[in-house]
Amino acid sequence: MLDRFTKTALVLMVVLTAIFIVGAYLGYIGGHEMEGTDAIVEEHAASTAVNVEATSSVPAITDMVGEPLGFTIAGIVAGFIVGYLWTGLFRREENA
Amino acid sequence: MHISDGILTPEWCLVWFAIAIPFIAIGVWQMKRGTKENASYLPMLAMMGAAVFIISVWHIPVPVTGSCSHPIGTPMSAIIVGPFPTVVLSTIALFFQTFFGHGGLTTLGANTVSMGITGTFGGYLIYVLLRKINSPLWVAAGMAGFVGDILCYLAAALELALSLNPGSVLSHWAIYSLGYMPTQLPLAVAEFVFSAGIVQYIADRRPDLMLGKLWGEVTDA
Repeated sequence: MLDRFTKTALVLMVVLTAIFIVGAYLGYIGGHEMEGTDAIVEEHAASTAVNVEATSSVPAITDMVGEPLGFTIAGIVAGFIVGYLWTGLFRREENA
Repeated sequence: MHISDGILTPEWCLVWFAIAIPFIAIGVWQMKRGTKENASYLPMLAMMGAAVFIISVWHIPVPVTGSCSHPIGTPMSAIIVGPFPTVVLSTIALFFQTFFGHGGLTTLGANTVSMGITGTFGGYLIYVLLRKINSPLWVAAGMAGFVGDILCYLAAALELALSLNPGSVLSHWAIYSLGYMPTQLPLAVAEFVFSAGIVQYIADRRPDLMLGKLWGEVTDA
């Protein structure tokens, strides 16, 4: 059995992940465009560049493949970890 | 603070890589030493790596500014697993974040310097100083998060100014910093809260997971 600390930490991680996913979904269906500060500052910086040509570019893999690929890999790894710990997490105490 | 490919000049990309590499090498060496001394260190490294990745990739909307940004998580990680190993973790996180459209491969060194080195060591220094004057653990950890977060963005602004505006570095550093701050200050407060909470929680429940042996008595609750 896992100790109380590990259980609490894992439950907390699951709750935080759930909050992130729900938040992302609500943001997605809400359709509000809140541009990232990084991009805003970068665009301004590129426009003020002296003697250099600066244009922001992101790896081509990002557009269509990157996020699904990243989440797939993360999901597979997380699935193996949770599966490995499953009995320790959810097994009932015999004398409970 | 994720600077994209194509923004920095090649010379500056190389400079930031040259600065980052020694920190990464020391971090790898300390990771090896830490795993030999403490069996719990490896899973804690994995957990901190995942935490830094998620914390520093998730853009949180800040309604008052109409834009979004993210905390960095590296000050918290530095307190728990050490600053040099945190540089390695943040480099790995930044590499995978390029898949999500954050940052870039040619700017990996620059982003490592801002998030992995400046944010980490700046926050960790504040933590050590506050612990030296007997500040409560949660206050020291929280202030590390707050200061590390702000320093990270100041470093990113400096990187942009050095590369793009070599004739007026200071004024453009100020301009870019001011561009980051309205969104970043509220998030730095959030960084204070979760850094303080998580470090205090681990110190209360599992102090053996804090690297007291490697990083001195300052990590004791």
